[in-house]
Amino acid sequence: MSENSAPQGLEPVEELDLSSLPDRPSDSGDSLRLNIRGRSVTLRRFQRPPKGLLRWLLILGPGLIASSAGNDAGGIATYCQTGAKFGYDLIWVMVLLTVSLAVVQEMGSRLGAATGRGLLDLIRERFGINWSLLAMGILFVANSGLVVSEFLGIGAAAELFGLSKWIVVPVAAVVLWYLVIFGSYAWVEKIFLVMTLVFFAYPVAAILAGPDWGDVGRGAFIPTFRPEQEYIFLLVGLLGTTITPFMQLFQQSSTVERGVARRHYGPERVDAYAGAIFSNLISITMIIATAATLHEAGQTQIESAADAAKALEPFVGNAARTLFGVGLMGASLLAGAVLPLATAYAVSEVLGVPKGVSLDFRRAPIFFGLFTGMILFGAVVSLIPNLPVIQWLVTVQVLNGTLLPITLIFILRLINDEQLMGTLKNTRVYNILGWGTFFLITTAVVVMLGSQVLSMLGVIK
Amino acid sequence: MVMLSELLHYRVTDAQGGNRKLIDLTIRQLDTDYPPVTHIIYHSTDQGGERVLPWKTVKGIDPAARQIEIENNKQAKDIDTLGQAVRLRRDMLDALILDLQNRRTTRANDLWLEQEDQELRLTAVDTSGRAILRRLVRSRSDSRDRRALYDWKYIEFLRGDPRAVKAGAPYHSRIVHLPPGEIAHLTSTIPYLHAAELLSLLPEHLAADTLEVMSPERQVQVFEELEETFALQVLKDMAPDLAADIVGRLDIKLAQNYLNRLPKAAGKQIIDLLKYPANTVGSIMTNDVVTVPPQLKIEKARSFLREKLKEPDFVYFIYVVEDQPPHKLRGVLSLRQFLTAEDEQTVEEIMNPYLLALTPFDSPTEAGYRLLNSQLAALPVVGKEGQLLGTVTIDAAVSQVAPRSWRAQAPKVFS
Repeated sequence: MSENSAPQGLEPVEELDLSSLPDRPSDSGDSLRLNIRGRSVTLRRFQRPPKGLLRWLLILGPGLIASSAGNDAGGIATYCQTGAKFGYDLIWVMVLLTVSLAVVQEMGSRLGAATGRGLLDLIRERFGINWSLLAMGILFVANSGLVVSEFLGIGAAAELFGLSKWIVVPVAAVVLWYLVIFGSYAWVEKIFLVMTLVFFAYPVAAILAGPDWGDVGRGAFIPTFRPEQEYIFLLVGLLGTTITPFMQLFQQSSTVERGVARRHYGPERVDAYAGAIFSNLISITMIIATAATLHEAGQTQIESAADAAKALEPFVGNAARTLFGVGLMGASLLAGAVLPLATAYAVSEVLGVPKGVSLDFRRAPIFFGLFTGMILFGAVVSLIPNLPVIQWLVTVQVLNGTLLPITLIFILRLINDEQLMGTLKNTRVYNILGWGTFFLITTAVVVMLGSQVLSMLGVIK
Repeated sequence: MVMLSELLHYRVTDAQGGNRKLIDLTIRQLDTDYPPVTHIIYHSTDQGGERVLPWKTVKGIDPAARQIEIENNKQAKDIDTLGQAVRLRRDMLDALILDLQNRRTTRANDLWLEQEDQELRLTAVDTSGRAILRRLVRSRSDSRDRRALYDWKYIEFLRGDPRAVKAGAPYHSRIVHLPPGEIAHLTSTIPYLHAAELLSLLPEHLAADTLEVMSPERQVQVFEELEETFALQVLKDMAPDLAADIVGRLDIKLAQNYLNRLPKAAGKQIIDLLKYPANTVGSIMTNDVVTVPPQLKIEKARSFLREKLKEPDFVYFIYVVEDQPPHKLRGVLSLRQFLTAEDEQTVEEIMNPYLLALTPFDSPTEAGYRLLNSQLAALPVVGKEGQLLGTVTIDAAVSQVAPRSWRAQAPKVFS
């Protein structure tokens, strides 16, 4: 404006000399020629979607978080226990599960995009109140167990740093509660996520531990089966921690939250796939790292977080405890906040009562009551003296695995509902993979429950 | 008088008895305050599956015996004859509903029906947790339950299918009485398909006003789901700058389709705005302004402007623009000046020629601050030859300088 011959507002507007004004903006950037009513016009307003790598990076989001949430305290315990106890033998399960996880998570986000609704919403609308209460109950039980796991993780991580869990756990509970209810949680979530990046140390540790890659390959691609109770138990635990009812719910509702519409769903599925592959790669390397260190050294039982941290020693040496502690703390805090929140949302959804952190206790008593209650429950139970930590963690994953077939049935029924899904209905390949996953998990659960019964009767050991 | 959940445990009997289980009730019209039940659907083992009977064949309801008495089942028809009717259990129970009285979204945990003369009418909805409990344990409702009932008169029922409106499905449509801002706020609490359905329910001009105040992400999501001719009409009724905002974020193919099919004048306004890249004054201005030639007598100008003042959202300033190309901007009149001027004065005589003007490729944030500092309602945007291109209103300025989280709530009074 400085080139104006007449100072603005001091001379009549008609005397302004704007002839030096450019015809087009200096950074004309993207311009698009469109043919409209037979005339070609240049439009500059359209923002073209980013291309190349950036485009794919922007799609990543809920899938990555949901799947990474599977690598929480319980997940770490299960993977480490698996590696220590059975070496590379169970890796094939994880390879199969990567496909299953990708399929299940993708179905979750597709349901979200096609309907704009959460899983429990859809169950209530399509199958009625009774089924939705069942699904809600399952989620509530599974998540309550998981919340305890997260606080156990927080306590264990604290002890790795030489801090007392009696102080850290209550403080963490209060801080998480405060952050979620009073605001800056979205920001804190990013810190927790960054903390979990520490688990990238596992792939490196797995390589540096110098495993016998031939054995790893055999473990990964040749299914083995041992009719031992602990083998079956851990197998179901792996299913339960890798594919969790909570993760499907989270994937679906965050796809909805992101505003993915059904017309633009196509490329979004990459998010679910990438999340599944990424998180299972970390899980598999956790198993390899523990197998190559602890199992090889003859230590087949993991009693504490300190034991689990040993698997990182080939890579980071003495820093193993600290690094493991940071990762465990981040993962546990992340899930410790997300789980109670997601549960409170889900339950309120089913009951149709007011929900959301922007309300208050008086206006949304059920929502806030549940959220507070779950954090309290998690913190208190995790502090029970002599609670067998690793057993609890693994057992909760087994519980999750046991409940999984029920939520899977709902997903598979809904996603084949043409009226609901339209063109995003399941294809045949998806149905084969989806139902395959369902039968795999159901069989494993039935075999596990059967073997428990048999061992109680003294038939097997 | 009776809860739907209770009614669904009733049997349907006639003089011969008969073993029929009530499955559902249907309603054909929703546009009355308390819609009457039109048909009953029951399952009959001897008639082979689900059958439909008109409500007028019902003689009475007997709560003690838990049965609905019918004259006979001679008029029973096949289930396919129902058409678009709403089925209370299948469609409405457990569905998402809008409680307009409290401006909130909730679920129909149970439905309350009242008998009046020979009709059974839907009168209220129960949204309490007790209703769920009652359905679980199959207990009967007691008088205390009435506290959680919401009058059906103020309930809007949605299906989650944006195409249902045009397909002729019945609606209550009470929501049309709310101001657009409140409707937009309600739509932010429901899934996008429901939001699109709700918008389709409104008259086009109200849908346009509502769409204007939705959050940018929601706008596109919802707009893409609208039926094409409705969407075109809504786009035409929107302020051109806000319409351009939406079109600029659509898929290019879809945008081209709409731009080709819009009425010529509205289409040209939107296209002119789309020529400016994002992050310029051009991208936040509106070109829907009122102009008047300078030599006109005020008396003439009044009749000249009568029609022109009807359409645009921003009418507070009338811009004085030369009749001949390049249509140079000469000055401005406020609506007050214009109304209070003497008949025989000319526009030129009373206009204010000392104007601050913006140029189209300036930074929108700077322009926003400039406008706010000037304390005016709008600043004109002029082109290279001094021609009027449009105006940046105070609304646009506020949403430029406000923190991101406030932008959605920034007033859009003039646009």
